[in-house]
Amino acid sequence: MIDHLEAARALDDIEDITRRVRQSQLYRLSSLLMILWGALVLAGNLVTYLTPVYADKAWLAVYGLGIAGSLVLGATEKARSGMGSFDVRSLLAFLMFFAFGFFVETIGHFGPRQMGAFWPIYFMLFYCLAGLWFGIAFTIFGLGVIVLTLVGYVFIGPAFPLWMAVVNGGGLILGGLWMRRS
Amino acid sequence: MAELDEIIHQPLRLRIMAALNALPAGTGLEFVRLKKLTGATDGNLGAHIETLARAGYVMVDKAFVGKKPQTTVTLAAPGRAAFARHVAGLQEIIAGAAAKPPEP
Repeated sequence: MIDHLEAARALDDIEDITRRVRQSQLYRLSSLLMILWGALVLAGNLVTYLTPVYADKAWLAVYGLGIAGSLVLGATEKARSGMGSFDVRSLLAFLMFFAFGFFVETIGHFGPRQMGAFWPIYFMLFYCLAGLWFGIAFTIFGLGVIVLTLVGYVFIGPAFPLWMAVVNGGGLILGGLWMRRS
Repeated sequence: MAELDEIIHQPLRLRIMAALNALPAGTGLEFVRLKKLTGATDGNLGAHIETLARAGYVMVDKAFVGKKPQTTVTLAAPGRAAFARHVAGLQEIIAGAAAKPPEP
């Protein structure tokens, strides 16, 4: 027979490991999403830098493929782990996220350079917020990309899309690989 | 009266069971992931998984993913039930202590 202090310690242990398992599942899906978006964003920035005339079409393709890919990955992960991850609410959240972004971009009359800085910062804001609930790794990563984006916006000239290909695209891919190991 | 499971009560086995219980029924965890989550060593984890498997609480599945061997551990239905009883027992102990009048 154990006393109530030992019993409380055991329950704390159970709660701790349950939280870690859920966080690990979340990190696993997030890492896949980050690698997907990283590759797409890298491609989008390279097209913007090399052939600016196709930039609009390239970014529409990035967003379309990104959303579709995210839903497929979410469904695949759900089938593998049995844990609910993506549903209609997730799709609506994505749509609202992009609708608000486009709204701000339109009323702000952003040029290509401003858009190149706005979208990653806006995207990373959600990583920073997610980190407050789901693990500090998200916040650290989000803040890192925001700072590097601002550095590029202020100090890098015409090669800004290239900078963003590395910082945002490469950052997402590396962040995803790192999160996979966490 | 609180009923604690002697097999589950051991700290590492409790952590293994808690980790597997956090997943939906029929879903397992790879040995490597379980090792990371519980902070156990290979040998220690293997021995405790074997104890749980002998009790019928977990199922161990060994397969090859590509050329790499992969061991997956899944909570069996009797294990899930035993874990629920164990947790209820722990809660009962705490509730019992809270209900006791303070000693003078």
